[in-house]
Amino acid sequence: MKRIYVFTALCLIVSLLLSPGMALAQEPKEIVATYMQAGTYDKAAEELVPAFEKATGIKVELIVAPWDVLNQNHITDLTTGTGAYDVMSGEFWIATVFEHMLPLDDYVKRDNYGGDFIERIWSPGPSNFYDGKRIGVPYSADAYGIWYNTEIFEQCQLKAEWETWDDYIAVLDKLQTCLKGKDIAPMVHYFGQIEQPAAIFLGMYDGYLVDKNGNYALDREKAIAALNKMQSLLKYNPEGVLGFDFNAGNAVFLAGKAATMVGWPSFIRANADDPAQSQVVGKWAMAKFPGPGFPMVSAWNLFISKYSKNPDAAWEWIKFYANPENGKKFMLKYGIGSPFKSTYEDPELLKTLAHFLPGQLENLSRVKSLPWTFAAFEAFFRNEGDFHQGKITAEEMLDRVQAEWNEIKVPEALIQLADAQGLMEK
Amino acid sequence: MSTVMITQKRRRRLRHDWPWMAAFVVPAALLVVAVQFYPLLFSAYLSTQDWTLTSSQSSEGFVGLQNFAKVLQNDVFQRAVRNSALITGTAVVLEMIIGTALAYLAAGSSRIIRAVRTLLILPLVIAPVAAGTLWRMMLNSQMGLTNYLLSFLGIQGPDWLGNADWALVSVIIVDVWMTTPFVLLVVLAGVSSIPDELHESAALDGASRWKSFLYIDVPLMAPLLLLTFLFRMLESLLSLDSIYTLTLGGPGYATFTMTYYIYTLGLRSFNLGMAAAASWLFMSFATVALLVVFWLQRRWQTAQ
Amino acid sequence: MSSGSFTKGIQRVLRVLALTIACLVVLVPLGYLLLNSVKPQSEMYTIPPIIFPSHITWEHFEAAFNNPRTLRFLTNSLTVTGITTAVTVVVSTMAAYGLSRMGLRAGVLSLIIFVFLFIRFYPRITTVIPYFLVMRQLALLDTVWAVIIGHLGITIPFVTWLMLIVFQDLPREVEEAAEVDGASPLQRFGLVALPMAAPGVASAAILTAFLSWNEFLIASSVTKRQAQVLSIAVASFVTDRGVQWGPMAAMAVIMIVPMILFALFVQRYLIRGITLGAVKG
Repeated sequence: MKRIYVFTALCLIVSLLLSPGMALAQEPKEIVATYMQAGTYDKAAEELVPAFEKATGIKVELIVAPWDVLNQNHITDLTTGTGAYDVMSGEFWIATVFEHMLPLDDYVKRDNYGGDFIERIWSPGPSNFYDGKRIGVPYSADAYGIWYNTEIFEQCQLKAEWETWDDYIAVLDKLQTCLKGKDIAPMVHYFGQIEQPAAIFLGMYDGYLVDKNGNYALDREKAIAALNKMQSLLKYNPEGVLGFDFNAGNAVFLAGKAATMVGWPSFIRANADDPAQSQVVGKWAMAKFPGPGFPMVSAWNLFISKYSKNPDAAWEWIKFYANPENGKKFMLKYGIGSPFKSTYEDPELLKTLAHFLPGQLENLSRVKSLPWTFAAFEAFFRNEGDFHQGKITAEEMLDRVQAEWNEIKVPEALIQLADAQGLMEK
Repeated sequence: MSTVMITQKRRRRLRHDWPWMAAFVVPAALLVVAVQFYPLLFSAYLSTQDWTLTSSQSSEGFVGLQNFAKVLQNDVFQRAVRNSALITGTAVVLEMIIGTALAYLAAGSSRIIRAVRTLLILPLVIAPVAAGTLWRMMLNSQMGLTNYLLSFLGIQGPDWLGNADWALVSVIIVDVWMTTPFVLLVVLAGVSSIPDELHESAALDGASRWKSFLYIDVPLMAPLLLLTFLFRMLESLLSLDSIYTLTLGGPGYATFTMTYYIYTLGLRSFNLGMAAAASWLFMSFATVALLVVFWLQRRWQTAQ
Repeated sequence: MSSGSFTKGIQRVLRVLALTIACLVVLVPLGYLLLNSVKPQSEMYTIPPIIFPSHITWEHFEAAFNNPRTLRFLTNSLTVTGITTAVTVVVSTMAAYGLSRMGLRAGVLSLIIFVFLFIRFYPRITTVIPYFLVMRQLALLDTVWAVIIGHLGITIPFVTWLMLIVFQDLPREVEEAAEVDGASPLQRFGLVALPMAAPGVASAAILTAFLSWNEFLIASSVTKRQAQVLSIAVASFVTDRGVQWGPMAAMAVIMIVPMILFALFVQRYLIRGITLGAVKG
């Protein structure tokens, strides 16, 4: 009994002594920048902080949080005008709060910034705009892609060439025949990562995502055809594919157990070229992401909050983080997809990454960004999940998605985004 | 005679002490009012407002009970209620059965059995967030330990988190794993409060262990068991952390529960009005359940 | 006779078997977590899994402790848990004593107890957003105080309820005798009732500590950077690039192990606390 009191008291004293900076002194020139916790963008940012502080005298505090906590904090911060963050990492998911972001055109013009980006990535969509003004600077770029095991294709005497998903499926059929009896699947995708298959749907679907009246809608016939085509892909995957998350899907391809893989190339490129983790070093290459839809883009942007007290200092950080030199460095070191042209034309890189860079650049130049809010996206991918499970038909799925969409107002920024990328009903 | 005098004395003393005792209560009362009642009332107000934080910094007007109507008619809400009922119903029944069985199996005071009991209650002290992530590793269909171990038994394990039906099972497994020890502890305490003589005389009458369990323990502990059931039910309905890290409500809407629904509405879509309405619907149900809990506790106490 | 001992033998075997299985079900996942926290990255994602790492690596722990944020998470968690527990125990014990000695009518007391129960079991998510707005108004967002006050809102009613049970069970005679000797209410509380209720207080303190240490929802809604706690850190390894098993396992171990050791140390009080609320009330 006595021991307990002593112990409790000790615990208390220790914790009080350790009480962290409850009274935080506010330095005059300090900015707060947010990054998503991923072990990549955040690590790259951490690496830059000392050099930045030395070069500019501006102190930087990094806030690293998982995706939805990050978005949550951004949205509450901006809608309440708190202004705790100067530089914010985000994508179109937070389009509802784009009106709270500072237009960056003056900075861009003043510093003659932006010419180094891949043109498509610097345009509305991958780059975030509001009311025709640039508010975001992309610092990563990845396009949904397909890559393949060159060895298996050689053995089966096939070429990884396709324009449409029908072409691709025809190749999958041939692979299936060729690989009969072997423990190798024609295709693998992380269908178990519930939000991911939507990107395949978007690759197959070439209709509108926002209707004439500015509401979320899909061209029903095209959507049903795309959904059913997508469902037919499941049979080319390894057994149990609906449970595959990123790690499991990647592991299958890295072990040489799949002829092709659909997904985010930047999630696998570095590992695939690392002999310690991969059986396919030197035996894989990028292929074209088929149409008639588009490859979805992942382009993280850096924004400056309208409520920032130090927008100039915030802009300095953006320039310091997003530039061609870092684009190349971070791609090699952390596997972050570079948004800069020069990375893909670098003669030195092309020697070692010839299997990756040209194919990736080709896909990147065709990407589009989704005009969906997260609620709209969630309505889509959750019902899509029920569809994959065989619980509902494609028609039922679309009815349910539409019913949920009818409750959602499309933010102005996303209508503009859809319009700029040809995703609106004509 | 003397009892009356003592009561009178006590009354007088109480009147005299009253300000002191009231002063003792004040700090707690203030905190509870500030941190609980005020937000609760605020959320009651929110439930009647049209307010989505992402589009407006203040409410866009009074809408009466429309938020409630919207939630009740919402297809996703209905699915969430079904999922919650299914997960909680199954999980709690399993917990009651397994927990009770283990309580009897782990009764005793030898050193080994005490060590076993210590082991068995470990999941209780593990954060639900950590338990969710832990089982996410265990149940990965390809790289998880569960299916790997099953393969040694010649069983091809299911696609735990990828298949809609198995994902439900997974969520139930994690709930059972985390909280069966609670049932175990409560039943153990209940059993120890049953006088040994009852068992002894039953044994003398030739009743088997099973019979004496059925005819002595169960009736005596019935209110306690029901109480535990209700406690567990409410807590299981409320659980969010483990689903948040285990399945994120998926695949599809398979493990999308009522709490997750409110969470998504409130902290993802920031639809404050509808989220508050959904919470109050949930709360009205919880209140009814609590009234039953309350009534049972009184009975259990008088039964003792 | 021999058939009787045979059945007894079988029963014994079955009992041992059942308990062994139960222990394994508890231990295997925890062991797997430990193994994953010392497994090299290259052996983490394999099909089938590599259970026992070829060599033990501390890289995940090193990465965790090299990160200044981890230390901040840890100190924040300690601060929040420590202060929450201390304040809760003091305030709730006093309140419970007051309530139990106020001579309230049974109906009124029942109502108060019901309110406590309600606070314990209503969906926490209901008040998270209003609470966030209040904390913003008070400029307490992203401070440990926001988390502490949020936790106090849960633990104080809960512990008051527990302590009410304890005090109602205490024999009044000693207190009355003390009163006759001229002890003031404060003395009767501090010198007479409290020592008798000490085991209950210990149980309540321990339960509070666990609750506060493991809490996730409130902590995640009112913190952004300075005040984040361990439960958030563990959840944060579910990233958009998949789950980082190694770092997550290491962080989970950092969070869980102290609590398991603590639980072993104070087991008796922990168990008493857990059962108290359910068995009586």
